Amino acid sequence: MSGFSAALAAGLALLAAAAVVDLVAGVRPRPLRPVPYLLGAAGSACLAVGGAGALAGHQARVWPAGVLGPGTAGLTADRLSGLFLVIAFAAATWVSLGFAGWAGQDGPGRRGLGASYAIALGAVAVFFVARDAFTFLFSWELVTGAFYLMVGFERGREGRPSAAMVTLAFGKISGAALLAGLLLLAVRSGSLGLASFAHVPAGGARTTAQVLLLAGFAIKVGLVPFQVWMPRGYAAAPGPARAVMAGVAVNVGFYGLWRTLAVLGPPPGWLTGLLLVLAGLTAVLGIAHAAVQTGLMRVIAYSSVENTGLILAGFGVALVGAAVHSPQLAAAGLLAATLQVIAHTAAKSLLFTAAAGITGGGDDDLDRLRGVAKRAPWRGTGLAIGGLTLAGLPPTAGFVSEWFLLEALMQQFRVPGLGFRLVLAVAGAAVALTAGFAGVTFVRLIGLVVLGRPGPGGGTGRAGAGGPDSGLGGRCAIVVLGAACLIGAALTPLEIRAVAAGLSPVVPASVTGGALKSPWVLQPVFAGFSIVSPSWLWLAMPCLFLIVALLTLGLSGRRLIRVRRVPAWRSATAGVTGSSRYTAFGFANPTRRVLAAVLHTRTAVRPIAPAQPDVAHLGYESDVIEVTEEYVYRPLLRPFAMVTRAVRRLQSGRLDAYLGYMLIALIAVLAVVTALS
Amino acid sequence: MWALRGLRNGVLTTRWPARPDPYAAAGRGPATVLDERPAEAGLDQIDTEQIDTKQIDTEQINTEQMGSEQLERICPTGAIRLADGAVRLDQGRCIQCGRCVAARPDVFGWAEGPAVGGLSRGGLVVPEIDETPERLAALRDGLRERTAALRRSVHLRHVDAGSDGTEEWEILALFNPVYDVHRLGIFLTASPRHADILLVTGAGARGMTEPLRRTYDAMPDPKIVIAVGTDAVSGGLTAPSYAVTGGVAATVPVDVFVPGSPPAPFSILHAVLLGLGRIAPMEAGR
Amino acid sequence: MNTRLVVDVAGLWDELTGEVAAGRRFAGLFGTARPEGLLLTAHLAGPDGVAPLDTLLPAGAAAYPALTPRLGAAFWYEREIGDMFGVRPEGHPRPEPLVLPEPPGDVRRPCPGEPGAPQVIEPDPQALPRHVVGPGLFTIPHGPVRSGVFESIEYLVETPGEEIPHLNMRVFYKHRGIEKRFEGMTPADGLLRAERVEGTATVAHALAYCHALERIAGLTVPWPAALVRVLHAELERLACHLDVAMRLADAAGLAVANARFGWHKEQVLRLVGQACGSRFGRGVVVPGGVSALPLAGPGELLDAVGRLDKAVSSDAGSLMGTASFLDRLRRTGPLSPERAREHGALGPVAKGSGYRDDAREARPYDAYSSLGLRPPAGHGDGDALGRLRVRFDEVAQSFRLLRQVTDELAEAPDGPLRDEGGTSDGRAVGWAEAPQGEVLYDVRVEEGRIVRCRPRSASFHNLVLMHEVFAGDILTDFPFIEASFGLSVAGVAG
Repeated sequence: MSGFSAALAAGLALLAAAAVVDLVAGVRPRPLRPVPYLLGAAGSACLAVGGAGALAGHQARVWPAGVLGPGTAGLTADRLSGLFLVIAFAAATWVSLGFAGWAGQDGPGRRGLGASYAIALGAVAVFFVARDAFTFLFSWELVTGAFYLMVGFERGREGRPSAAMVTLAFGKISGAALLAGLLLLAVRSGSLGLASFAHVPAGGARTTAQVLLLAGFAIKVGLVPFQVWMPRGYAAAPGPARAVMAGVAVNVGFYGLWRTLAVLGPPPGWLTGLLLVLAGLTAVLGIAHAAVQTGLMRVIAYSSVENTGLILAGFGVALVGAAVHSPQLAAAGLLAATLQVIAHTAAKSLLFTAAAGITGGGDDDLDRLRGVAKRAPWRGTGLAIGGLTLAGLPPTAGFVSEWFLLEALMQQFRVPGLGFRLVLAVAGAAVALTAGFAGVTFVRLIGLVVLGRPGPGGGTGRAGAGGPDSGLGGRCAIVVLGAACLIGAALTPLEIRAVAAGLSPVVPASVTGGALKSPWVLQPVFAGFSIVSPSWLWLAMPCLFLIVALLTLGLSGRRLIRVRRVPAWRSATAGVTGSSRYTAFGFANPTRRVLAAVLHTRTAVRPIAPAQPDVAHLGYESDVIEVTEEYVYRPLLRPFAMVTRAVRRLQSGRLDAYLGYMLIALIAVLAVVTALS
Repeated sequence: MWALRGLRNGVLTTRWPARPDPYAAAGRGPATVLDERPAEAGLDQIDTEQIDTKQIDTEQINTEQMGSEQLERICPTGAIRLADGAVRLDQGRCIQCGRCVAARPDVFGWAEGPAVGGLSRGGLVVPEIDETPERLAALRDGLRERTAALRRSVHLRHVDAGSDGTEEWEILALFNPVYDVHRLGIFLTASPRHADILLVTGAGARGMTEPLRRTYDAMPDPKIVIAVGTDAVSGGLTAPSYAVTGGVAATVPVDVFVPGSPPAPFSILHAVLLGLGRIAPMEAGR
Repeated sequence: MNTRLVVDVAGLWDELTGEVAAGRRFAGLFGTARPEGLLLTAHLAGPDGVAPLDTLLPAGAAAYPALTPRLGAAFWYEREIGDMFGVRPEGHPRPEPLVLPEPPGDVRRPCPGEPGAPQVIEPDPQALPRHVVGPGLFTIPHGPVRSGVFESIEYLVETPGEEIPHLNMRVFYKHRGIEKRFEGMTPADGLLRAERVEGTATVAHALAYCHALERIAGLTVPWPAALVRVLHAELERLACHLDVAMRLADAAGLAVANARFGWHKEQVLRLVGQACGSRFGRGVVVPGGVSALPLAGPGELLDAVGRLDKAVSSDAGSLMGTASFLDRLRRTGPLSPERAREHGALGPVAKGSGYRDDAREARPYDAYSSLGLRPPAGHGDGDALGRLRVRFDEVAQSFRLLRQVTDELAEAPDGPLRDEGGTSDGRAVGWAEAPQGEVLYDVRVEEGRIVRCRPRSASFHNLVLMHEVFAGDILTDFPFIEASFGLSVAGVAG
């Protein structure tokens, strides 16, 4: 067994140990609370090392074929698996440390969270290294189960049980889609091994399987119209569990999509077009809602939806490239999507780790959380860096990945055929619109919440309530993940080499490597179109800043450093009741109005009967609607309820009825098997 | 096409102060003393019943100045004073009602030209200012030193401390194409944080004391304050009152006083340039 | 018209509401401190003039039943009475201080009508309570130090971020106590103060004041003097309307239009200065007539007016054809016709909503009865564009009147310019149509001195409507609505 295989096995074992420790020891005694998460961190590190080895081409296999049963192909990591193992578990290590810090400070009240966290990570790892359909599906269902456990952990609080049910429902639907697709392929190819599915002849079965597989993975990552579970689920999970779900575990969906492309090749053109349009729609819908939410967790959750749209837009470009047999275009799209996955993983984990415990148990209304940087500087810095990355501002990693994405979409002129060009153009426009509104969203987050002054505004207000600053684990996590977001941009050429190696099952590494025009200058795989150099940017920007600062200092004499503190200028007013500064709600109001078509904003000003003469006599309300929920799911609720009521009659509670059902099922299976063989 | 419309009438802008402007030169300022020791009778104490109605309308007796000399009673704000038999008129109190000019055209007339502003309150008294030349020179030099950096480009901020609305029109007129103070490097700014010159109008309504104070504190150094209008200089007709402090000098330190009710735009411009030291001392005179 | 003394407050309110229902217009409410108690006077405007209705509150009364629940237009008047005299209107929906913030308990209120000066009243600007509640609402204070050259008033915009569901106002910053300054003055000194109540409507205020005195003393204004009065009143109207057009063009970013209307306004002011020595028409109107004929001859005046007319109508036509400008004004700040009628709104604000009660037509004075005013076609849109159209119509009408007046002046016989009848004791109401609307003066003279003079400017009556004209407008519509009202804060704060 090579070293990397040992690393993989050790990682899985440590995660299992973490689960056991949590279930056995629980949350007492208090000093032992971080132990499961520390074990999980160690396990994640081992898994990341193993994945790096697999990425480099070494053999990394946990156990050979046949161990888990006939037809299973064992757990082996190839380059693509290695790539995703590195991405996910490098982040997971630090998220686990942050988790350990949080658990030590104000951790869970009872056992179970550590176990579900370990199960989630373990299932993700197994999913990445699965080689046959059975293990694939098993780990997928484990991930769904772990999500359900994590989201429903604080089931005593309002809204959590329903969020957990919705998460479970969507997870189950995705699992069902995957099951149907994989079984279809297994029947056609005659074996359960994933590699054998590549030989299924083209036709209705293959196409249906592709649709089902893509749909299943799309549900997990939150493509429109399946994104409704994400905001609820992410907001309901406790503390850093959100980072695990949204930063680490969501990559299973992307890995699945990449693997589908590798195994089955490009889907038919109409599916690619649909995917691109839906990706653009997801991005716009996600950022529109993120810009107007009033709760911090929801803002970050909707940003995940937006990023899904962006990543899938890049993936769509790769599908188009594969369909028109242009490996360069496929490479450009996949590279952009993978870089966005990396940036998203780092930034989302950072955001949710920094936001864990920020509310101190209260609600996460943005106006209540103003002035985070003053009372919790580490958290504030984490939020700021994560926000800048997701907004795509240079010189962060988010800027590089969005640049690649837009450049890949701009290659649409190289594609023959009007249909693909149109959908690529639509997706490109949607991505550009999203980038703009992402700026607005994160300006609100960083400017008002992180940098704002605590209190209701205008003069002395009560200090914003909230939890304490992160502990040691949290600080380590914020430092490393922040560095990944920032310095990672400067090291993009190294990332591209690694990603090129990782994508080799899909596109040759030499093609993807064409994104490196020279050691530190990048281009979108096609030469002569455009270049960017984030590494040089990281040198040039601080230098420019320094030059300007020195010039200003020099030319202004010593007057620059003299500071006079005065109250803010407010038109010399005597004061107003309530806030006189922009609230987070108010800052988002122009977006509510401008995007009223997407958000279906409703506002109303109603006279209310005042209790006393000098009390307010008008009430103002404003609300946005989630269009998918309103127009796709709400109409389905009634027929669904009717069907449930009808089916419930089967649950008669009578033993003879259940025995009868089993007998019928057995006879039907026997009949089918006999007929088919 | 608005752009072409604007070109139709050619250049409307005055060239003052680089070249003389006839409207500026003929502009009516506050009343002034033509003959400080008038020959005719009228300076002695006279009983109200014996007033010669040919000289002063009984209706026009200033009721608040009862007990003063007859000449002094002409002025409703008490700007006219007799000192050692010589007539003194405090232009800082003159509301340009014209009663003194109508009653005694031999003694009183209208000051003409835009140079009505002064650097000190006492400097507004005619014909002999109530200020020593040394103090005036000191004020002038101090102002010049303070505004050394501001000379060619300044930003104005305006605060209304209880005016009647006319001074605002005259200040706003500075930005129309006829006066166009942008050509002199004078601009209006929205925030006192960017302002160099504070123009205060109005008699000093007590409700505006705090806001005026806040505005003044919000301005960075160096800054100068110009009290625009007789109301701002001395309170005019509105003071004394329960609601008015009688001029803004009690709230903020004023550097240039501009009398007039309201002062013409040329007078306000002259005061701004005086404050900046761009009008030579010889022309300024006060 | 005679002053009537109604027995008690409730009776007065009954009579008022009855007359208003019968078609007369409620024009104001104020108090006078008399030795016997507090005299409340209401003004009713009708085709035969403005009639005061008095009622007496016994001395020591601390409260009276409010009129506002029955007649909404009295909303601000009763608050002002409360500030000046300390009596509480019971049943008033929002009896907050208006022009004089709550002084400490032992300080005497101004009480106009009562001799003696009150002590200094330091303002106590406590924050006004919110009017709107809801998530994420905050209040943007606009003022009192505004961002351009404006008079001091504070608008509290309660907003959720872009829209304006409600606007609140604090007007006490500029309160100068003008009403108290009239007491004890001779009528000539009072004229000086009347001219300085609202400087941009100097001539209209002087006219209203002099009409009151002329009614008391039974003076007749000679024909040439009446013509000169109309000349200055119309020039003042031109200046105010051009100022409104200038401010609207500035708000819309039309720099050339802003500059051109500024130039026209400057020409009007220079013309006024040429005619009488003062750029705002001060010192022209005296009780009984005018002080002098215009210093410029009728030919010169006619030339200047003709040139100005051509330039202004050309620019006005161009402005009303600029689509981007009209877009900003259309449906901005709508005032419904019912509301305008119910409130008895004045001036272009009311005419833009279809409610017309111009004092020059309904209760003509000076030379207006002989000059034949033609009311232009009505504009009932009620938005800022309607009000601007009304203003441009009045500008055109003013030019016609100016030409008529200068022609008549050229042919007028020489003669006395004022009726030298002097003044006598008594009480009367005078009115005049200022550019902002109708100005009323209720003057009471005893023993040759003014005992009470109440100047009610159109701005005070109209400004309260600004609370209600923001129907779904956003922050950037605010300067248009404010400019389209065209009111002067000096007249509001007193």
